[in-house]
Amino acid sequence: MVGNTFVFLSFTAALLAAFAYFRSAQNDELEGGPWKKLGRISFHVHSLAVAGIMATMFYMIFTHMYEYYYVWEHSNNSMPQKYTLACFWEGQEGSFLLWTFWQVVLGNILMRTTRQWEAPVMATISLAQVFLASMLFGYYIFGFRIGSNPFMLLRETPEYANIPIFGMADYLRHLDGRGLNPLLQNYWMTIHPPTLFLGFASTIVPFAYAIAGLWKKKYGDWQVDALPWSFFGIMILGTGILMGGAWAYESLSFGGFWAWDPVENASLIPWLTFVGTGHILIIYKARQRGALSTFIFPIITFILVLYSTFLTRSGILGNTSVHAFTDLGMSGWLLIYLLFFILLATVLIIVNYSKLPKQPDEEDLWSREFWMFLGALVLVMSCMQIIVITSVPVTNKIFGFNQAPPVDRVGFYNRWQIPFAIIVTFLVAIGLYFKFKTTDLKQFVKQLTLPFVLAVVITTISSLVLKLTNGFFITLLLTSWFAVTANFFYWVRAKKANLQKGGATFAHLGFGLIIMGALISTSKKEVISVNSSGIDVGTKGKDFSNSTDILLNKGDTLRMGEYFVTYTGKERVGHDILFAVEFLHKDSSTKKYSSDFTLHPIIQINPQMGNVAEPSTRHFFTKDIYTHIMAADLTMKGEQGRDAGAEPGSVHTLKVGDTMFSSNSIIVFTKLERQIDHIKYNIDADEVAAGAVLKVIDVNDKIHIAEPVYVVSHNRIRNIPASVPELGLSFTFQKINPDEHTMDFSVSEAKHTEKDFIVLEAVVFPYINVLWFGCLVMVLGTILSIRQRIKKRKEAKKE
Amino acid sequence: MKKIHIVAILIIAIAFGVVMTSLSNNSTYATFNEAASHPDKVYHVVGKLDKSKPFLYDAQLNANLFTFYLIDNKGAERKVMLEKPKPDDFERSEQIVVIGSANGNDEFKAKDVLMKCPSKYSDGKPTETKTSSM
Repeated sequence: MVGNTFVFLSFTAALLAAFAYFRSAQNDELEGGPWKKLGRISFHVHSLAVAGIMATMFYMIFTHMYEYYYVWEHSNNSMPQKYTLACFWEGQEGSFLLWTFWQVVLGNILMRTTRQWEAPVMATISLAQVFLASMLFGYYIFGFRIGSNPFMLLRETPEYANIPIFGMADYLRHLDGRGLNPLLQNYWMTIHPPTLFLGFASTIVPFAYAIAGLWKKKYGDWQVDALPWSFFGIMILGTGILMGGAWAYESLSFGGFWAWDPVENASLIPWLTFVGTGHILIIYKARQRGALSTFIFPIITFILVLYSTFLTRSGILGNTSVHAFTDLGMSGWLLIYLLFFILLATVLIIVNYSKLPKQPDEEDLWSREFWMFLGALVLVMSCMQIIVITSVPVTNKIFGFNQAPPVDRVGFYNRWQIPFAIIVTFLVAIGLYFKFKTTDLKQFVKQLTLPFVLAVVITTISSLVLKLTNGFFITLLLTSWFAVTANFFYWVRAKKANLQKGGATFAHLGFGLIIMGALISTSKKEVISVNSSGIDVGTKGKDFSNSTDILLNKGDTLRMGEYFVTYTGKERVGHDILFAVEFLHKDSSTKKYSSDFTLHPIIQINPQMGNVAEPSTRHFFTKDIYTHIMAADLTMKGEQGRDAGAEPGSVHTLKVGDTMFSSNSIIVFTKLERQIDHIKYNIDADEVAAGAVLKVIDVNDKIHIAEPVYVVSHNRIRNIPASVPELGLSFTFQKINPDEHTMDFSVSEAKHTEKDFIVLEAVVFPYINVLWFGCLVMVLGTILSIRQRIKKRKEAKKE
Repeated sequence: MKKIHIVAILIIAIAFGVVMTSLSNNSTYATFNEAASHPDKVYHVVGKLDKSKPFLYDAQLNANLFTFYLIDNKGAERKVMLEKPKPDDFERSEQIVVIGSANGNDEFKAKDVLMKCPSKYSDGKPTETKTSSM
C-alpha cells in the first residue's frame, strides 16, 4: 500500500538524514563533505515522503475510502467539504503528521539558512523526525506498541474485526464514516491546530541550536541566530493558544475564553518558558551573559512541549479533563521520545558545564539584564505552579497519591496566578526603561513618573466605575495600566513614535492589555440568568446557591440584568436547532418593551456522538452578552404529533411497598385502600372497589398522592384513573393478580412537551474586547520586532 | 555570593512554598463513605451511573436540580443531587466524577459533574448508509 510505503520511507530517510548529518557534524574539516550532501538528500527524501503520506491521506478522505479506519473514524458522506482539513487532523495520527509537516518545513528553511550550523542543527531535527515518523507505525515490537497507523484498514482494527458487515464481499458500498465530531465542525478547527502545531514545532529551532552549541563546544555563537526564531515561535504559539481561547469562547461551552482546562494549560506551559527563552537570548546577545541559561531555557521549553503532548495524548488526564485524547497506545513511545531528549540534553549540559563561559563580574542591580532575567524566572515559577497542578494525575499515578484537581478550577488558578501576573506586568512596564549594563536611576525615576501617575489616576477611575474591591485585582489593574502607559510613553519618547521600531513596546503594551482584559472580563463577569422573580423555584431551591441557569417557557419574559428576555421559538436548520432568545428593554416613560437584539444559541443534534450546545454571543464595544442553552425541549413542531400528549402507558406490576419510576418522579405503592368513597368516585353500592395509594415524589422531594381505583361490577371491570397534573402523570389501576399478590398499573406521562422551554445561562463579559485588542497589538508588536531584528542582522552582515 | 544567586534561592523557596500550599488546597478523590465522614469537605467521587434507578430532571419544577444514583468504586450507592441542569447525553457516560460533599440524609450534593463518555474509539459500530442498495 502506497501510504505505508511512504511511512516507512519517511522513517528510513529521517534516520539516514540524522546519521549523515551526525557524521558530517563530527568531521568539521570536511566542510560540505559527502556526509552533509547525503544528509541533505535524505532530508529531502524524508520531506517528499511526508508530503506523500499527507497527499495519500487527503486522497483517502476526499474519495471517502471508508475501508480505512482513519477515514471512517473522522469523516462521513454528509460532511461539508470545507471540513476536510479538519478531518485530517482531528485524530492523533493526523495531528502528529501536522507536527511532522511543520518540522519538515522548518528543517528545509534551516538547511538553507544555518550555514556552519547546518550539520549539527539538522542532525537534531532529523532525530526528532525519526521519533515523529515512527508515531505512524502502529507496529508491535516485543509486545510494545509504537505509534498508531493512519492507514490501518477498518476490518483489521481489533474492535471491529468481527463485525458481520465485513462478511459481505461488497461491504464498502454499505459503509459510511462516523464523521467529524460535531463539536469540531467549526472554522476554528481549520485554523487553530495548524497554528498551534507550528508553534510547537518551532520550539525545536532554539533547542536544536542549543544542542548544537553544546555538542560543537561553540557556546556563544548560536544565540544571535536562534533569537528571531524564538520570537517567531512565541508569536505563533501565542496566537495558537489565543485562537484556542477564542474558539472556546465563541463556540464551545466552556463558559469563557480560558477555563484552565488541563488541555489549555498544556499549551500555555511551554509558551511561558518560550517567552523566557526569547528574553534570555536577548540578554546574551546584548551582554554575552548567562550562557548557561541560554542552554537551559530552550531545552526546558522543548521538553515541556513533549511533556504537554504526553499529558494530552496518553489518556492520563482522563478524570480531570473532558477534552483530552484517549490513549492510542502511543504514550509509551512518546515517553521514550521525551526521556531520550531529556537524557541527551542533561548529559550534554553536565559534560560541558565546567567549560561554559562565566562572567567575571556581577550584574549591576539596575541593569536591564538583571530585571529581564528576573522576569524570566518569574515566568518559570508561574509555569511551575500550572505544571504541578495539571500533573496531579501523573503524580497520583507515580506515587499512588489520591489528589484531585481543584474544585473551583478557574478561581483556584486565578488566585495563584494573579501575584505572578502582577510581577510580570510590572516588569513589562518598567523593563524597557532599564538600560543594559547600568541605568541612571534619576533618569529612570523621572521618566517613569508621568506614566505611573497616569496609571494610578486611570486605575482609580476604572476601579470606581467597575466597583472593584479586591486588593489583588486593583493591584493587577494598576500594573497592567502601568504596562500600557509606560510602554506607550517609551514608544513616543525613546522611539520617536516610529512604527517600525515599536516592536518590543507594542508587544509589551499588548501583553498589558491582554491581562487587563482578562482581569476585568473575568472578575466582573455577571451571570444575569438568575432567578429574579422572587419565587422560590422549589423546596430545594434554598440550598442551591449557585443557580446560574433559568427556565424560560416559550413566550415568558423574564428580567435579566438590565434586559428583559423572551424565548420566542426555535427552528431547525440542518443538524442544528436554533433557539431564538430576544433581548428587550423597557422604556421608562412609555412602559413599552422594544426589541434590542435576538441571539440564537444552538443545540446541534447528533445521535452518534451526543448533542452539543453552542453558545451565541452578542458583541458590543464595551461588553459581550453570552447565552448558552443548558437544557431544552428538543421536539420540533412537525414531530409533536408523535411526542406530545400522553405516551402510551407503560405497565408496571407491583406489590404493596414496591417502587416504580417515571422520568420525573419516584412512585411508591404505599397501600391498597379497600374503603372507597363510593359517592366521590360515583360507584354503585353493589360494585366492589379498591384504590391504590400511590405516593409520587418529585425532583424537589415534594409528595403528591394519586389514587387510581379498580372497580369490579357484575363481571365487568372499570378503572378510574388518577393523575398528578403538575407532573403530567396519570395512573390506571389495571388488574389484580390474586395469586401473586401483585397489581398492574399503567403509567402514562404527558411529557411537558406542550410547554416549549429552554434552560438558559446568560452571562455578561465586560470589556472583553480589551483582551482581543491586546492580542492583536502583541502579535503585531512581535512581528515588527522580528522584522527589525532580521533587518539589523542583514545590515550587520553587509558591513 | 552573587545577587543573582540570592535571588535564585529566594525564588526557589517561594516556588516550593507556592507548590506545596497550592497542592494542599486541593480536594482529594474519595468514596461516598469517606465523604460522608467529613460532610464539611469537598470531594471528588468517581463512580458509575446506576442505570436501573431513575434520573430525575424536571425543568418546570426546578431547572437547576438533577438527581441520579451513582455507585462509587467501592460499590456504595448514593443519591446524587446535582445543582445544574441535566447534562446532554448523560445516559451515555461510562464513568462519572461528582464534585461536592455529603449531606446528612445519605445523599451527595454535587456542585459539578465530569462525565467520561465511552471513548470515541470504542463507541458506535460501522453503520450502513441509507443510500445503500440493499
